[in-house]
Amino acid sequence: MRGTFAYHRPSDLDGALELMDELGGQALPLAGGTDLMVEMREGKYRGYHLVDISRLPELKLLELQDGEIHLGAGLTFTEISGSELLRLHAPALVQAASQIGSLQIRNVATLGGNVVHCSPCADSVPGLLVQDARAILRSLGGTREVPLQEILVGPYKSGIQAGELLTCFCLRSASGMWGAFHKLARRSSLAIARLSLAVLTRQGEEGLSDVRIALGSGTPVPRRMVEAEEFLLGKAPREKDLWEAGRVLASKMVEVTGKRPSTVYKEKAAQGLLVQAMLPLVRHGN
Amino acid sequence: MEWEEQESPAPIGVRFRLNGREVALEVSPGESLLYLLRERLGLRGTKEGCGIGECGACTVVVDGKAANACLMMAAQLDGREVLTVEGLESPVGLHPLQEAFLEHHAVQCGFCTPGMLMSSYALLSCNPKPTRDQIVEALAGNLCRCTGYEQVLEAVEAAARRLANGRGR
Amino acid sequence: MGTELEWISRSVPRIGALERLRGMPIFGADIQLEDCLVLRVFRSHRPHAKIMELDVEEARKLRGVEGVFTARDIPGKNLMGLITKDQPLLAQDRVRFVGDPVALVAARDEESAQRGLEAIRVRYQELPSIFSPEEALAEGAVAIHDKGNLLHRRVVRKGDAASAMERAAVVVERTYRTPHIEHTYLEPDAGVGYREWDGTLVILASTQNPHYDQKEVAGLLGLQEEKVRVIQAATGGGFGSKLDLTVQGFIGLALYHLGRPVRLVFTREEAYLATPKRHPLTIWMRTGADSKGKLLALQARIVCDTGAYSSYGVAVATRAAIHATGPYEVENVEVESLAVYTNNPIAGAMRGFGVPQVAFAHESQMDLLAQELGMDPLQIRLRNAFQEGSSTATGQKLGSSVGILECLEALEPHYREAVSSWKGSGGSRYLRRGVGLGAMWYGIGNTGVQNPSTARVELDDDGRVTLYIGAADMGQGSTTVLAQIAAQVLGMQPERLRLVVADTARTSNAGASSASRQTYISGNAVLEACAKLAQVLLTEASDMLRAPKHTLLLKGEGVADSTDPQRSVSFMELAQRARKKNIPLSWQGYFDPETTPLDPETGQGIPYATYAFACQMAQVEVDVLTGRVRVRRVAAAHDVGRAVHPEAVKGQILGGVAMGLGFALMEEFVPGSTVSMKDYHIPTAADMPEVVPIIVEAPEPTGPFGAKGVGEPALIPTAPAILNAIADALGERIYQLPANLERVLEACIRAGHFPSMEVK
Repeated sequence: MRGTFAYHRPSDLDGALELMDELGGQALPLAGGTDLMVEMREGKYRGYHLVDISRLPELKLLELQDGEIHLGAGLTFTEISGSELLRLHAPALVQAASQIGSLQIRNVATLGGNVVHCSPCADSVPGLLVQDARAILRSLGGTREVPLQEILVGPYKSGIQAGELLTCFCLRSASGMWGAFHKLARRSSLAIARLSLAVLTRQGEEGLSDVRIALGSGTPVPRRMVEAEEFLLGKAPREKDLWEAGRVLASKMVEVTGKRPSTVYKEKAAQGLLVQAMLPLVRHGN
Repeated sequence: MEWEEQESPAPIGVRFRLNGREVALEVSPGESLLYLLRERLGLRGTKEGCGIGECGACTVVVDGKAANACLMMAAQLDGREVLTVEGLESPVGLHPLQEAFLEHHAVQCGFCTPGMLMSSYALLSCNPKPTRDQIVEALAGNLCRCTGYEQVLEAVEAAARRLANGRGR
Repeated sequence: MGTELEWISRSVPRIGALERLRGMPIFGADIQLEDCLVLRVFRSHRPHAKIMELDVEEARKLRGVEGVFTARDIPGKNLMGLITKDQPLLAQDRVRFVGDPVALVAARDEESAQRGLEAIRVRYQELPSIFSPEEALAEGAVAIHDKGNLLHRRVVRKGDAASAMERAAVVVERTYRTPHIEHTYLEPDAGVGYREWDGTLVILASTQNPHYDQKEVAGLLGLQEEKVRVIQAATGGGFGSKLDLTVQGFIGLALYHLGRPVRLVFTREEAYLATPKRHPLTIWMRTGADSKGKLLALQARIVCDTGAYSSYGVAVATRAAIHATGPYEVENVEVESLAVYTNNPIAGAMRGFGVPQVAFAHESQMDLLAQELGMDPLQIRLRNAFQEGSSTATGQKLGSSVGILECLEALEPHYREAVSSWKGSGGSRYLRRGVGLGAMWYGIGNTGVQNPSTARVELDDDGRVTLYIGAADMGQGSTTVLAQIAAQVLGMQPERLRLVVADTARTSNAGASSASRQTYISGNAVLEACAKLAQVLLTEASDMLRAPKHTLLLKGEGVADSTDPQRSVSFMELAQRARKKNIPLSWQGYFDPETTPLDPETGQGIPYATYAFACQMAQVEVDVLTGRVRVRRVAAAHDVGRAVHPEAVKGQILGGVAMGLGFALMEEFVPGSTVSMKDYHIPTAADMPEVVPIIVEAPEPTGPFGAKGVGEPALIPTAPAILNAIADALGERIYQLPANLERVLEACIRAGHFPSMEVK
């Protein structure tokens, strides 16, 4: 696997943006490379220019600012899953990060890489969606800030334009919220999700408020499941409420995705997964 | 190399430490660390089991962390520190992990062994007293078809104890 | 000979472990030869087609390409196969599966080889493709091979099953299905070759059977066998797949024509595409028992999808039939087993040869019978288990070393504990616990045929002993075990032996490392060779020490007088003395297990000289919300006759349980869509339960120090135990492997554990 690529390592973000601008559609940002190397081995991207962004300090940002988490796209999953700050402010994302691939992958693969790949089963995406993440896209022309969902145009198709670099995510802090991430796969490690579910919510005297649920691997791209969120809003959920919420979620999933051979399983499993994920919220006696 | 490409891109100079020694060479864009180690540097202890990061047989330690050499671009190595299985042994003898693998019968066909050793090494260098669950997590990216993992896990536990008692480096 | 067992039942350091721990370049892909060409195989993309035109001229002309070879360039007989020769090295005029080799490219480097592959042109004419045995056997189906689509039919018939079935108090009848399984040894197939000064072609390759490789390559090339030398490179697991030729034939062909060093290393994708799989089986089984649970009759029809070429299909169909009763006495048996050609990937040998598949069926049947009768699953097994004197389905009377009852008894406390306290103490409405048993028996060695092994031992004038063994060690540890046997007989440390292993020029044929046969069969050959040498040494020592032989002891590379240990003589002195008297110091050992061929009509006969037995228990938790199964604990009791190396036996059991867990829950190779390791899941460390290996030793009188074998038995009971545990947890059974998320959730729904069904 030699030749036919060009490699550039800009020393800072401005240099990277200049290269991205100059190379346009021929530029291929390289961060951890864990997806890219597999595709290059399959013979893809010949003739492309790899722009190594793996060491740009600007992409390693991790800070809390005015109730928002700023999360550099270049953070690895090991960095994310080990972050105390994120454990408090992004619990579902932290759980998701610790379940990706293997430790070898998590040590190298980045959050931004996982997102821009736009895989239907990207584990980090549901964890970001429940935090109403916005993506910061930089280019020589300026900065675009868009809701994450807008980048996820379709399976393996991102809305990032030529010349743009995904540099950062802004997340609403989930401090004080209850969060969970559940992944269903054929084995316990090194596995692609059959389904994944991220949940954030607040539990109070008036029941659940601010319910946020995102589904992975069930729809062409991961997405928020608003109908199920609304159903649970204000409920001190009993078990049967969770079953009903699961049903709402599953039927939305089928509506979005259509019936496929895998639907037979996924329709039930999505429901079961929601029940399983949120069961700890059911108070005894209910 | 005799091979040539019409639009051969410029080779990239990299300088990194490999098993404690400074290495400076030119690599092609797209060349993997695994290819560099095995085919160009003749370090064939690092194995290719799948080529796509699914088996862990090519695990090496880069800047203290376990990584799949098949997924790492050689061009990205500049300034880094790489340790392969060939760098485990010291002039005074086997690394305690190697000794423990031997004593606990953790080697069967041995093809996954270098990767297992390197994952274990990375674990013990940042977490000298790992729990069983932490060892499992660290090795869950290294497939083995022979051993069922148990004797490997026991060996890592034994090596951790040995290192804690001050033996080895 | 020493009377105390110093080196047996002892876990000595494994031979070869140190090289592996140091990462030394010992595997096929590691070996570096000067000026080495790269080989690549051009393979069919069609499942079944005639080759109308094959044009390699453009490829031949490319710079960097040193040769392109097709069937026309094969000087010998273009046919391979250990049991049935039906597979060409390169397609003659027809391709029979996606991956069938068509041409071979030799080039200076990978890029040139790749360009060579891309320049090859083939024009095919499609033939109807057949992807199931049912279609293959249907009237008017296109014949994949000239003699038709039925490769083999094996019948085992004893008593009168049909009428016994009528007397049965309970009868259960079910159909079981298993998928293609990919061995997924960690080392993709690899090898190198070079030509010796005298023209001998030397091939170093990853293999389980170097002597077969030699014969086959010589046949392909039309050479005398001694002109081909095969040396086993370190082999990173085989599990049956490396019994067939993988890279060896291609390396031989290129060497023949080019005479330059060559190298062929499969990518993982190529290993998945090209190498044999475990046979998918469809097993219809009907089992009848009396009201006390005593088995009365068993009827089965087994259909094995052997794919495009026979490989070990005959052996798999035969073994499946013979073992269909499980380790139980059944008076009346009627089994028909078919191996059928299809255009699926070649199915061949894989750890257990059809027995893991039938064990899934017979063990499910045992639990179903127990359930019908209200019996405990352990009880029904104890009631029917083979004992000394029992007669098998082939009419073989089991003499001794029948350890199945001992295995069941060894498991009993674990089983009682699991059922009485573990099962009830945890879990929840949505996490259901279950306990299951799986038992098995397994004939050691090839089925009803001669399958001898040989070994040689030699004492040099310098007093050093060299052991020559032909047996390939793929990681199971045969070299260590055979060295221990030699060390025991000769009273010396195993690490002091010089070893020459699996090199056709220097070692004699030991047969394949398959069928769990090397400890028993090659172990006996080593034992015999060493015993002969020991006799010579004792005789000479008796002379020199003027002491009767029975007081002499081999010890520390010498012979000592046990009545006066100060008086001793070294191997070196003995060797020099014997040499002067022209007494040979090189001795051959030979062993062939006593078997008789099976009757072609009834399958009656003595297929194996001895059997291994085992029973495992699995404790599982089933998440009924998602269908996820976690195996929490497996206790595995195995009768191995004698554990020569207890830690290696444990290693086999632990590894077997892992492979069995994969077979039970997650592994499925789907031809056409399983391409790489992304698509095929074997268990990781995080999937493994606690495993408790229990070694049972019912000594086999004909085995070396009582040993039998354990390699395949280790895997066989696991999937049945897990599937029975799932059924116990859910009250609903799964009849098709793997019991993956989809099938388990479906069973949960059928059983009513997934309560939302009525919600609209």
